[in-house]
Amino acid sequence: MPVPPSTAAKISVRNLEFFYGNNQALKDIHLEIPERRVTAFIGPSGCGKTTLLRVFNRMYSLYPGQRASGEVLLDNENILLPQMDLNRLRARVGMVFQKPTPFPMSIYDNIAFGVRLYERLRRTQMDERVEQALRQAALWDEVKDNLKGSGLGLSGGQQQRLCIARAVAVKPEVILLDEPTSALDPIATLKIEELVSELRDQFTIVIVTHNMQQAARVSDYTAFMYLGEMVEFGQTNQLFTNPGKKQTEDYITGRYG
Amino acid sequence: MADFDQHISQRFDEELHDIRSMVLAMGGLVEEQVANAIKALQSGDAELASETISRDHEVNGYEVRIEEECIGIIARRQPAASDLRLVMTIIKTVADLERMGDKAVKIANMALAIDHGAQGSNHALLRDIEGMGKYALDMLRRAMDALARVDADAAIEIAKGDEMLNQEYRSAMRRLITYMMEDPRTITSAIDALFVAKAIERIGDHARNICEYVIYLAKGKSVRHLPLDEVAETWQGE
Amino acid sequence: MISLYQRRRFWNIFNMSMATLATLFGLFWLVWILWTTLSYGFSALHPALFTENTPPPGVDGGGLKNAFVGSLILISLAVAIGAPLGILAGTWLGEFAVRRRFGSVVRFFNDILLSAPSIVIGLFVYAIIVHPLGQFSAISGAIALALIMIPVVVRTTDEMLQLVPSTLREAAIALGVPYWRLVTQITWRAAGAGILTGVLLATARISGETAPLLFTALNNQFYSTSLDRPIANLPVVIFQFAMSPYQNWQAMGWAGALIATLAVLALSIVSRLIIKGKTKGGA
Repeated sequence: MPVPPSTAAKISVRNLEFFYGNNQALKDIHLEIPERRVTAFIGPSGCGKTTLLRVFNRMYSLYPGQRASGEVLLDNENILLPQMDLNRLRARVGMVFQKPTPFPMSIYDNIAFGVRLYERLRRTQMDERVEQALRQAALWDEVKDNLKGSGLGLSGGQQQRLCIARAVAVKPEVILLDEPTSALDPIATLKIEELVSELRDQFTIVIVTHNMQQAARVSDYTAFMYLGEMVEFGQTNQLFTNPGKKQTEDYITGRYG
Repeated sequence: MADFDQHISQRFDEELHDIRSMVLAMGGLVEEQVANAIKALQSGDAELASETISRDHEVNGYEVRIEEECIGIIARRQPAASDLRLVMTIIKTVADLERMGDKAVKIANMALAIDHGAQGSNHALLRDIEGMGKYALDMLRRAMDALARVDADAAIEIAKGDEMLNQEYRSAMRRLITYMMEDPRTITSAIDALFVAKAIERIGDHARNICEYVIYLAKGKSVRHLPLDEVAETWQGE
Repeated sequence: MISLYQRRRFWNIFNMSMATLATLFGLFWLVWILWTTLSYGFSALHPALFTENTPPPGVDGGGLKNAFVGSLILISLAVAIGAPLGILAGTWLGEFAVRRRFGSVVRFFNDILLSAPSIVIGLFVYAIIVHPLGQFSAISGAIALALIMIPVVVRTTDEMLQLVPSTLREAAIALGVPYWRLVTQITWRAAGAGILTGVLLATARISGETAPLLFTALNNQFYSTSLDRPIANLPVVIFQFAMSPYQNWQAMGWAGALIATLAVLALSIVSRLIIKGKTKGGA
């Protein structure tokens, strides 16, 4: 069913099933997420795209009653195994959420906080790391004079870029974006999208979005999900000009009802 | 084909329906123009020829209007998949139709020019034109039908027929050259007739282009530079 | 004919005026109480209040120094015991027991304690500490006050932590933060202003409690700071002096009431300023 990706797979999903209690949310998902590319998940609400995203950093483990079976291989290591070290996994797989979630501390500390979990850096090294992360998130010029200011004092778009900087600062391999622009205005949205395009050289990015045009704009590969199933996965250009499945066609042309 | 399913936005459905109807209307007009031009040429009807020339602006008007509508839809609706292919197909189709309209004008101009020459020799010269004209008109009509029905199989058949028209053109050219060699007094009108034949041959090429767009619209594959025999095989497996 | 609009207007005006009247009615009593306290209290204010101890019956002069010091000791001890316990228990409820049945059982009992009459707490402490030791003591008073304080702090801590958006927790978890660090460095910080306010309001509440102290700290006519002895304290002194037949005692009672009121007011204002500062400036 899926078109084989042109680069090596960073994450391979095999036979994944997911349950909320007795409700099955994902059915027999197979997927290869290519390394250093942007992969978008699209589909109507409740299709399981966010659920799938939250499997990749085992976020669901926080909640009793949620469970997954099958295999999710991150560089050939099955992250679903119970002995998986979740904190180590989450250091490798960063996540940015729908609503911006700056921590209640200064802009500097927001970024340093995550880094301190994994590395002991001297003051100057930490300063460099914070600057580098803020630059990568295209936020440095806006906040460089206010690093001691509260992260909560920034605008929504800036907060979201701060969250991306925070994720980038711990040098993850994969970045998960869960509808990162749904709370932002169009200009802030475009800035985030631009940022995603710039980060794709260094990270494997997976983005869930309700906005099909956004998926079309930012992603290299697109997966269309419906009712917990992976309907179609392919190169974004192909999927948006000539989808292989009628369900995909109906959804992206606005005929899904 | 998804064309018959409804969009959530009914307004979008209406807009797409409107431009499709306009393209079909434009196709009908171009057909009429070509038919009238050829008829004027054969019958020496100067009035019909003038009328054909003066109606070309209607064809141009269609082209401009449809193009504007398509650009509007792209800007406002961001069409995807089959909608996107439909809009692109229409934009390209109207360009070809407009060129066919220009060819009709060219033929009508010839009709006015040839009218002053000697009737007898012209009749012989125009013999080939009649057959070619009918053939090209038929291609155009069937191409517009295929577009209306988004029928890739029919489009392939029509496109294949273009080769026939090209052969007709080549043999017409050989015949006209023979005339000219036999009787140098026919050179002027023979060259006129050659231009007309060329114009008709080009109309066939444009009809073929439209068929290729229809295939792209239906199958999402560009077949412009593939041999037609192989084209059908590319979707036979589906 | 009265249009629908006019009828709506009428009911709107009627309800508004009724609500305003009810508010004014409540405010009237409040202002009266405050005004009485202020006027009687101010006229009795005297520097000697802070320098001299409570006088024996029938003797002129004297002050409330021993009661102020006693109250301060009692409240400080109660806060030192109650606040950490309350915050920890509230954190357990708000962070670790949110979706557990046991958590809701604990929350239910905490609510019962919250609304238990303070005199019951006093009796309880009397029964388990004062009676076995055979002596009223400052420490038993502090424990009684702490017991009253804990449920309030537990409740506010629990609620403030539950107000912290779960997305913030998920965001920290997604960075690979261990849960204890998440609580100490993120959620406590996010809920800090609310928790502190809860502690201050609980402090305000216990600073006026009289009933439990009657069974525990009792009172002491003399200056004492030892924890195993009865200790003087403002509420009981106010209670005793107000009921007494002596003019100077009654006046001192008013003065004590005024100062207790002002202290509570100050605590409330401070807590409001903290909330305002936090929400405006952030971390």
